Amino acid sequence: MLLPLLILLVALCVALGGWAAWFVVKDRAVILNQLWGGAIVEGVLIAQAITAAIRSATGAPPSDPLLFWGYMATALVILPIAAAWAFAERTKWSSVVLLVAALTVAFLDYRLWQIWTGA
Amino acid sequence: MSGAVGDAGRGATRPPAAARSTGAGFGRVLVTVYGVLAFAALGRSSYELVTKFAEAPVAYSLSALAAVVYVVATVALALGASPRWRKTAWGAVGVEAAGVLAVGSASLANRDVFGESTVWSLYGQGYGYVPLVLPFVGLWWLWHTRGPAAHGARGPHPSDGSEETTA
Repeated sequence: MLLPLLILLVALCVALGGWAAWFVVKDRAVILNQLWGGAIVEGVLIAQAITAAIRSATGAPPSDPLLFWGYMATALVILPIAAAWAFAERTKWSSVVLLVAALTVAFLDYRLWQIWTGA
Repeated sequence: MSGAVGDAGRGATRPPAAARSTGAGFGRVLVTVYGVLAFAALGRSSYELVTKFAEAPVAYSLSALAAVVYVVATVALALGASPRWRKTAWGAVGVEAAGVLAVGSASLANRDVFGESTVWSLYGQGYGYVPLVLPFVGLWWLWHTRGPAAHGARGPHPSDGSEETTA
């Protein structure tokens, strides 16, 4: 895992979460542009998975590979599922769902970093 | 006011008088948090069962039980529009509430009672006490969305101004 990608991903999650929180305050449902935002976060996550796989294969594996890839798998599925689940609801509660999902991914990524470095 | 007849037409856009879906509105958030916890518990439990089950069979069995309960609760709440899933949800959320209170209290009395910590140890401290709060929010939500048939009274709906008597 690379530190710049971690910082970028957490920043993007916070931005997406903030956008969703703003929509909660405005009593609005999730819009398609927010799902595109989620897709960007997912893209960075995939980039993280690829760099982690490359570094593992080239002799720098995570401290606990099973735990790491378990967390990675969870992190990768959260946003797609949450996006579909949120988008089916056309009230402000969909924005709360997106907020919860964005914060969860940010937290999972932080945990991924901890596991990667063995902290 | 007795505008039940006049409200009937507008009422078409409201949920019917039956029990409301547990997966819509606020319920969508509840299911999301349940889903996240289900993933967390399932991941943790799978990892424990694969790598170190023999070290603390009781603790890791409890974590596995918790994971199954969270998965069932998530699915049942998501599909809670039907009476059968609603009953399943009551059961799963009830077991969860009892589990976190029992295991939490036992672990508080004696930290090493199960050998290792579980999802429910110290009332779910390792998960920000979400496992402690969630079942009670779940029970409240199931009660809140109940239909008139189940309890003899119509489910409260703050934004629904019509006053119907329970005939």
